[in-house]
Amino acid sequence: MKPYSTLSIQNLYASVAGKEILHGIDMSLRAGEVHAVMGPNGSGKSTLASVLLGHPAYEVPKTKKGKKVVVLLDSKNMLSLPTEERANKGLFLAFQSPIAIPGVTIMNLLRAAYEARYETMEKKKTESVQNPVLARRFQVGGMPIGEFTDIVKSQAKILRISDDMLRRGINDGFSGGEKKKIEMLQALVLPHKFAIFDEIDTGLDVDALKTVSRGIALLQKKGIGVLIITHYQRILRYVKPDVVHILVNGKIVDSGDATLARKIESKGYDKYLV
Amino acid sequence: MKTKSPIGDTYKYGFHKPENYIFKSEKGLDEAVVKSISAHKSEPDWMLQRRIMAYTIFGKKKMPMWGADLSTIDFNDIYYYIKPTQSMSSRWEDLPSEIRDTYDKIGIPEAEKKFLSGVSAQYESEVVYKSIQSTLSKKGVIFLDMDSALREYPEIVRQYFGTIIPSGDNKFSALNTSVWSGGSFVYVPKGVHVDLPLQAYFRINAANMGQFERTLIIAEEGSYVHYVEGCTAPIYTTDSLHSAVVEIIVKKGARVRYTTIQNWSNNVYNLVTKRARVEEEGTMEWVDGNLGSKITMKYPSVYLMGRKARGEVLSIAYAGAHQHQDAGGKAVHYASETSSQIISKSVSKSGGRTSYRGLIEVFPGAKNCKSKVVCDALILDDRSRSDTYPTMKINESQTQIEHEATVSKIGDEQLFYLQSRGVTKTQAESMIVNGFIEPIVKELPLEYAVEMNRLIQLQMEGSVG
Repeated sequence: MKPYSTLSIQNLYASVAGKEILHGIDMSLRAGEVHAVMGPNGSGKSTLASVLLGHPAYEVPKTKKGKKVVVLLDSKNMLSLPTEERANKGLFLAFQSPIAIPGVTIMNLLRAAYEARYETMEKKKTESVQNPVLARRFQVGGMPIGEFTDIVKSQAKILRISDDMLRRGINDGFSGGEKKKIEMLQALVLPHKFAIFDEIDTGLDVDALKTVSRGIALLQKKGIGVLIITHYQRILRYVKPDVVHILVNGKIVDSGDATLARKIESKGYDKYLV
Repeated sequence: MKTKSPIGDTYKYGFHKPENYIFKSEKGLDEAVVKSISAHKSEPDWMLQRRIMAYTIFGKKKMPMWGADLSTIDFNDIYYYIKPTQSMSSRWEDLPSEIRDTYDKIGIPEAEKKFLSGVSAQYESEVVYKSIQSTLSKKGVIFLDMDSALREYPEIVRQYFGTIIPSGDNKFSALNTSVWSGGSFVYVPKGVHVDLPLQAYFRINAANMGQFERTLIIAEEGSYVHYVEGCTAPIYTTDSLHSAVVEIIVKKGARVRYTTIQNWSNNVYNLVTKRARVEEEGTMEWVDGNLGSKITMKYPSVYLMGRKARGEVLSIAYAGAHQHQDAGGKAVHYASETSSQIISKSVSKSGGRTSYRGLIEVFPGAKNCKSKVVCDALILDDRSRSDTYPTMKINESQTQIEHEATVSKIGDEQLFYLQSRGVTKTQAESMIVNGFIEPIVKELPLEYAVEMNRLIQLQMEGSVG
């Protein structure tokens, strides 16, 4: 992984069902940095997260007000790619309320996703065993399945996720806290360059919040750029952001260091809402 | 149909059965054809009489009108008896390209491809079969093709043949009884457990999958056997009608599991009657997967005759373009404290249609019976269809019946979630479908389960049939 990847959002506009939600966002994030985007309800926070990964419900113009609308990851425009390619080029999104997919186990998902990324990032396929049926079964991203399983389990242990849970269907009957931990597990296991966490702190008790924060610290240590999208500053008590952006009515209205988050804590968003 | 010398292809594998000469009856069916089939096999007179009687019944029975559309079957345009080497395309090159492509994509070795496509019998499997045979015969287990069983064990065959499914049961059981050929015969003596699944695949004559197979399994008291037939790779056949009859007798305390994976090519009508009689404390389990064919009508049944008998039907059906899978199960409770479970999972895509059709019947006086029916359908697009036709005839008040049915579609949010992890939309769909059928797939022998998952993926990619 290149040490100085950048994610650059330029002039980003987006609308859903004809209603414009984002009115020109500009921000830039480097590998290893933690940025927080804070804003009140309805400011466009989740839209920002969804648009970065290309959710089909949102429309993003190619140009707006005479300027190009782009999201560049190391000079490659993500907006022209389908969702899976954005993921495989290095974007990861931890969902605010991830949907249940009964029958697809977390282990299965991790294997399929890891394999897809391996093929894109390493530009090669898992070495083919003569019988492709066996190859699929016994190899993941160039390593034996047992090795991969061990990696997953070691990361799960950090997050206090039981092995048993890895065999359950994705989010099928999971509590709010369990869902968030599973999102974090995927962020830890799947290689990527920038991780976006949409409201990772909602619905977590203090213990789970600490666990998740530990995950973010690990990602940062690996040189991954982290974008935390949040309403409250709760998680920012455990994770110190390098830059804080205030998003109000689909625009970044202020940016600053971690002290900006503390000001929001004491004074709220009122200042920006007039 | 192309006629080739039977030596050409089989010889390549060093396998040649000289007695396997060609015989083909005329197209269409009359009493003379029935007689010639029997004469050709040098059958005992009682079997000939059965065939002739069944033929008469076949003529009188009406076509079933309650299920899938069978109006295009032309009984006069079918060969009723063909010596097996000829019944299928005899050259690899003669197979339709989509079938060859599928084999390539599944990654089946050359020799196996030829076996599956009916091009040649596989020498290796004969070797495997012989070694299995010697192990089985030490335990007194008989595992033969039905024609050989009739020659070698005529009294056992006579005792049970047609006792579970009489020829008059329905038009197709009558047809099968009059023209049957091939199929398996399994006899498991009292108390014997057959540890390895018996696979029709290894029974050498299974290379010649017939149109009108007749299978009979007898499990004596306290015995156990798992029988597996079919395979997940598509079976190409030029025959348009496959109409088998499977009869199973599960005696006191015995357990039989019967696993079928059917993947006939999309020109085949697959109309099969399967039924098991289960005595006191016996257990019958049907695991039934239907992937191929144009129309399938198949409802494996359990007749629970003795106290505490148990029956289970697990069914998976996949219907793609121009396919109708009309499948399900039947449980008939004749005795007290009997229990049954029918679990059906169906997937329809690209205009395909699946139907669940089931019957739960409890006879008066059969007290404290339990039955559970779960049918789940997954519909992948707006052109596809799924229906449920459950029938309950409960004539005893002390009965516990559960019925659950769900119909679901793959949601956009589910696809977005999986795509955001890096898998394509097609892969995402196949992951969801495989997850949906997983509870039944995990009951399959491992190699079948792996192939099944792979096959679903190919179906999702739209690269098969």
